[in-house]
Amino acid sequence: MNNKSRLIGFTCAYTPLAIIKAAGYIPYRVLPVGEAPDLAGSLLHDNLCPHVKRVLDRAFAKDFPDLAGMVFVNSCDSMRRLADAWQIVRPDEQVIRLDLPATVDDDSVFFFAKEIETFANTLSDMNGQPLGQEQIRSAIVLYDELSATMKRLKAVTNSGANIGGRSAIQKFYNRASTEPVEHLIEELKQIIEEPKSTKLDGEYVPVFLFGNVLPDPEAFSFFESCGALIVEDDLCTGSRLFNSTEMDLDWAKDIFIQLARNILSQPPCARTFDPKNPDKMVQDLLYKAKRCKAKGVIGYTLKFCDPYLARLPAVREAFRKAGVPLLLLEGDCTLRSIGQHQTRIEAFIEMMG
Amino acid sequence: MMKKYFEELVSGIETKLQEDPENKSPRKAFALEIAKIGTRLYSDTNQKCWCGIATPFDLLSAMGVTSCFVEFVGGMLASTETAGNFIETAEHAGFPSDACGYHRAVMGAAFDGIMPAPDFLIGTTCPCSGGLAVVENLSRHFKKDLFVLNIPQQASEEGVRYLTNQIRQMVKFISDHTGEPLDENRLRDTIKLTNQTRQLMNEMYRLAQQVPSPANGHLMGNLGIVLPLVFGTKAGVEICQIFKDTFASHVKEKISGVPDEKLRILWIQNRIQFKNPIVEMMEKEYGASIVSDELNTVTWDPIDPEDPYPGMARRAISFPLNGPINVRIKHLQKLAQEYNIDGAVNPCNWGCRQGTGARGMIANGLKEVGVPVLNLEVDCVDSRNFSEGQLRTRVEAFIEMLS
Ligand code: SF4
Ligand code: SF4
Repeated sequence: MNNKSRLIGFTCAYTPLAIIKAAGYIPYRVLPVGEAPDLAGSLLHDNLCPHVKRVLDRAFAKDFPDLAGMVFVNSCDSMRRLADAWQIVRPDEQVIRLDLPATVDDDSVFFFAKEIETFANTLSDMNGQPLGQEQIRSAIVLYDELSATMKRLKAVTNSGANIGGRSAIQKFYNRASTEPVEHLIEELKQIIEEPKSTKLDGEYVPVFLFGNVLPDPEAFSFFESCGALIVEDDLCTGSRLFNSTEMDLDWAKDIFIQLARNILSQPPCARTFDPKNPDKMVQDLLYKAKRCKAKGVIGYTLKFCDPYLARLPAVREAFRKAGVPLLLLEGDCTLRSIGQHQTRIEAFIEMMG
Repeated sequence: MMKKYFEELVSGIETKLQEDPENKSPRKAFALEIAKIGTRLYSDTNQKCWCGIATPFDLLSAMGVTSCFVEFVGGMLASTETAGNFIETAEHAGFPSDACGYHRAVMGAAFDGIMPAPDFLIGTTCPCSGGLAVVENLSRHFKKDLFVLNIPQQASEEGVRYLTNQIRQMVKFISDHTGEPLDENRLRDTIKLTNQTRQLMNEMYRLAQQVPSPANGHLMGNLGIVLPLVFGTKAGVEICQIFKDTFASHVKEKISGVPDEKLRILWIQNRIQFKNPIVEMMEKEYGASIVSDELNTVTWDPIDPEDPYPGMARRAISFPLNGPINVRIKHLQKLAQEYNIDGAVNPCNWGCRQGTGARGMIANGLKEVGVPVLNLEVDCVDSRNFSEGQLRTRVEAFIEMLS
């Protein structure tokens, strides 16, 4: 373990960031970006999610600051294998696993609450400092403030203000998952008060974007160059990471249970679902698309992502029935892979425009 | 089509057994019982449940429900050389070729109407994300209720308690659908049979470890993964008893599963389910006997008939494909040592993130105990791109290296 580092690495939007913050660490998302050489296949396999492979490539290349530890959520098979491989590639970093249930009920909440509590205790032991409920509550309040501020920033952008396009928002998402957030909140507030200009240049078709991993800010500029303004997203490198908890921070209640219930009842990505309503994810997506007044929806998912691969046929069918235009794209989280879809994106936008 | 296949299989094996009742080979006994499960799944008179691999099938059996994991259908279709058509159906419906072949075949079979509609479904998070998603899709397709068992990654106190509670909830879910409460006495008897089966499995696997081994690739193929379907039944006990007795007499008479056994091979995770010459070629041409499969094992303790749910929970968590990879590697290393393994074959099923995704780590882990691993690039269910010549060359080179 690297005792000097204050960073705890993570890769999944289900990670309870407030716990990391409360324990005196800074959450650092190891994003699948950069130019690290392609080595992950040697330990894993080439037919694995590119998110996971690129993160492991970065680990091989030591392409990020030292970490005190790395937390992996049991989100899917590929992520479990990444946790296994991490232990081999970066043996000095403590690997912490959080076992996240795939479905939500009271038993799942209690189990996940225990997982979070163990996680908190592990961090507290690593840091040599006790971790009280008060610190956790303050951290939750801080992350709620960040979420609310990000939402306001999006609202300002959607009402026409120019803060540098949707790519600027993605830059903030990336910073918010790799830097201390206190300063960032102040910075965001200032931008909201004084946007560069109050008018976005050009005419755009409003589009709702859903999927999993798309951290490159340039990808959003690329959508704009095709005529699409992403007015809302449901991505794990986007809004899904910064959903306000809106928790009742009742001192009498167990904070871990509250946090677990909250995380598990966030709008799910494809790996979490409601067995009583297998269409919940689709219904949520349709609802969000309508709420943000998008004219169409783009789904961007990664190759080899089993949770999405298996669910997209039902998504396509539901959108067809609802008469909502949908374009499904598959990629490897790089700009290049999105660029290959340029003609399809332009045709889709033109069809709606 | 499948109904007819299973019925013909049952009557074919039964006729042979009537003609020569003394010659009840272990594999015939096993195939007969599996074919009977198949016919029950396709009959209209049973309560049926499509499941995930880690379901406690004995509990369903005690509740009068015929149950089976969905991947079984994928394997069955592959073995009858019909999976390709269904995989194409699934791909046309939008299930891409990057997904596991078992799951593509099952989805295609459901769309083409050859999967019987279940009364309800039970998904399990172990062993794979794809398997859970398929059960969820089948629930949507058949418009039948789904229950999910979240299998914790580790057998911690919390994990066992969590799964135990879920199993209790599952019992309620099943009774709500069958209209029949659980009969505690029947469950107790079922668990006693499960424990007997477990004991016999341990004994037969121990016999398979002898040098030379009475086992071979044909006898042991798909055994460990399919046996749980007969846990808790007299048939399960009988099958394992025949295996054990046959192995015991062969060990005594020094009859090896592969004549002139030269090399002992461990097979990792998946068999290639469609007809292919690899196993026969290894055994006949090189005397390389497949003495063990990764899942031919007992990783769990006897279950307490008076309080069976915690034991069932521990059993599911102990499945070798569950949890962090070092647990699985330790299990493989143990098998390698117990069976005196010379080399291992890992058919890296295309589309299996869970297993294939670990191939490098598995190879390194077995190397630590002196066992080289041959990784094969293959789809274990979809034969459309199967390149026999290429595989043959790689296997031959591997065996020559071992020899
Ligand atoms: S993108 Fe899909 S496969 Fe990759 S880590 Fe996320 S859920 Fe898993
Ligand atoms: S081969 Fe892998 S992905 Fe397919 S069913 Fe088995 S564990 Fe799941």
